[in-house]
Amino acid sequence: MTTQHVAGRVRPPGRWRAALTGYAFVFPAVALFAVMGVYTIGSGLALSFAKWNGFTPDWIWVGFENYLDLIYADPSLAPPLRAASWNTVQVMVLVPLLTVAISLPLAVVLNSVRRLRAVLRSVYFLPYVTSGIAVYYAWRYILEPDGAINLLLRSLGLGTLAQPQGFLGNPSTALPTLIVVLVWSSVPIATLLYLTGLQAIDPALFEAARIDGAAPRQVLRRITWPLLTPLTAGVVLLGVRDSLHGFQIFLIMTGGGPGGHTDVLGLQAYRLAFFKGLAATLGVSSALGWLLFAGALLLTLVNARLLRRVR
Amino acid sequence: MKVGRIAGYAVLTVYAVISVYPFLWMVSGAIKTREEVLAGGHLIPRLPTWDTLVTTWNQLHFVEYFRNSLVVTGLTVLGVLVVYSLASYAFAVLEFPGRRALFWFFVSLLFVPGITMLLPVVILEKNLGILGSHLGLVLPFVNGTAPLTVLLLTGAYRSIPKELREAARADGAREARIFWSVYLPLSRPAHITIAVLTAVPTWNEYVLTRVSINDPSLYTLPLGLETLISSQVPRYNEVMAASLIIVLPVIALFLFLQRYFVNGLLGAIKG
Repeated sequence: MTTQHVAGRVRPPGRWRAALTGYAFVFPAVALFAVMGVYTIGSGLALSFAKWNGFTPDWIWVGFENYLDLIYADPSLAPPLRAASWNTVQVMVLVPLLTVAISLPLAVVLNSVRRLRAVLRSVYFLPYVTSGIAVYYAWRYILEPDGAINLLLRSLGLGTLAQPQGFLGNPSTALPTLIVVLVWSSVPIATLLYLTGLQAIDPALFEAARIDGAAPRQVLRRITWPLLTPLTAGVVLLGVRDSLHGFQIFLIMTGGGPGGHTDVLGLQAYRLAFFKGLAATLGVSSALGWLLFAGALLLTLVNARLLRRVR
Repeated sequence: MKVGRIAGYAVLTVYAVISVYPFLWMVSGAIKTREEVLAGGHLIPRLPTWDTLVTTWNQLHFVEYFRNSLVVTGLTVLGVLVVYSLASYAFAVLEFPGRRALFWFFVSLLFVPGITMLLPVVILEKNLGILGSHLGLVLPFVNGTAPLTVLLLTGAYRSIPKELREAARADGAREARIFWSVYLPLSRPAHITIAVLTAVPTWNEYVLTRVSINDPSLYTLPLGLETLISSQVPRYNEVMAASLIIVLPVIALFLFLQRYFVNGLLGAIKG
């Protein structure tokens, strides 16, 4: 025992032993993924080439039919899919853009004040902490026809902007309203990231710029913005991902309505998987899930390239 | 200069109001009577009452839902911390063949949409016989946090000076001991950040929970809340009371942990 101990001290433990230790540490994560990931990804991919309703014992193999049905062949699937794609794209572009446009200036201003900074930081973080079904219901409540937002607009003399059917009931305001709510819930993390990023910048840089007579706007453009680019990349990437993946808010606040005006791709896949009764739509739902995955991958690669060029 | 500062505070105040606005109405709705909430009107209730909160709590088995939510969220956070702190330690400091590949594999899972996995997970759990149980929620929740958690924790462990590990090894400490007595205590802010980032979405999770839990005695808070709004004309005072019951614990948790949370996030960015 003692000799082994001493030996371990003198020369590094054998390679195989180090490798074994490494594998022991990653084992729980890999095991969990083997059960919850490998099988599910495999069977999900297989299912996307079959027709199944979840109850019959056998799958019927159909090759690429599910994919073709979704893209153009099936008149009951392809047109709603196209509409939902357009809605998804709008969300995917506008939410990250607006999030950056609001949270970066907010973080810069917050970083420049001393008093109340800690309190305000907590207040700004509230939408993240509360985000979920409860706060979406609160939004539904204030967006009702007699809700707080309409009331506020009327009391400010902006009654023409009020929506008598409610903001979620009017087909032309429903999607923009949801985009606003999504931005509202993604600003907190982005602001906090920017704030921590700003505090990590060397104050001497700002000081030097000030001595050289740079205007605040120039400082923002030439120093702050370039130094925060990696963070912006992260915020945009996570925003795009969330918009493409997430549909919880659409499910809870509008269910895709009115008349499909807020339908998104994730929500369609969800309905095809769980709300079609005995119809054999599970394969189509899987295929749609994989199309989403392909889209996410493609966008990430494009984003990564663009960002590398910007840097 | 002075004008600039006033303008700055004005901007900050406006956004503070926007941040808390729905929350203010949640509180206001929760303490209104049924008549007053139907009539719409002012933020400040004319006849504030605790009755709505009390009846909603009693009538809807919220104690049960609350306990279920605590169990699911608690187990998920615990599972995430145990499983991925071990794995991230291996990725950050240990040497073994396939380390980089495995690390990037876990991180790239970030781009697999949840909906792509949702249906196969449900089918798998049906076959395993755990569909509809709390375990059936916790396992996929833990697995789902893998990419971000591995990314953040590996960064945090890498930022710890290697000399500490070398010193411990020279003293004859084994990996398990170095992990437990050096890396874990030094990474507390990162662990708290992960705990908050895991707890908040798990506490609010609705999609998988909705399609897998059928037994009302296993309902979590979001499912309990949903039963309130499925009626034709939602009684918004009760809906808001239930919503308040759901968000208050998370707010308390965050306020309690926020100092560490911010530090952990800062560490993750630097790392």
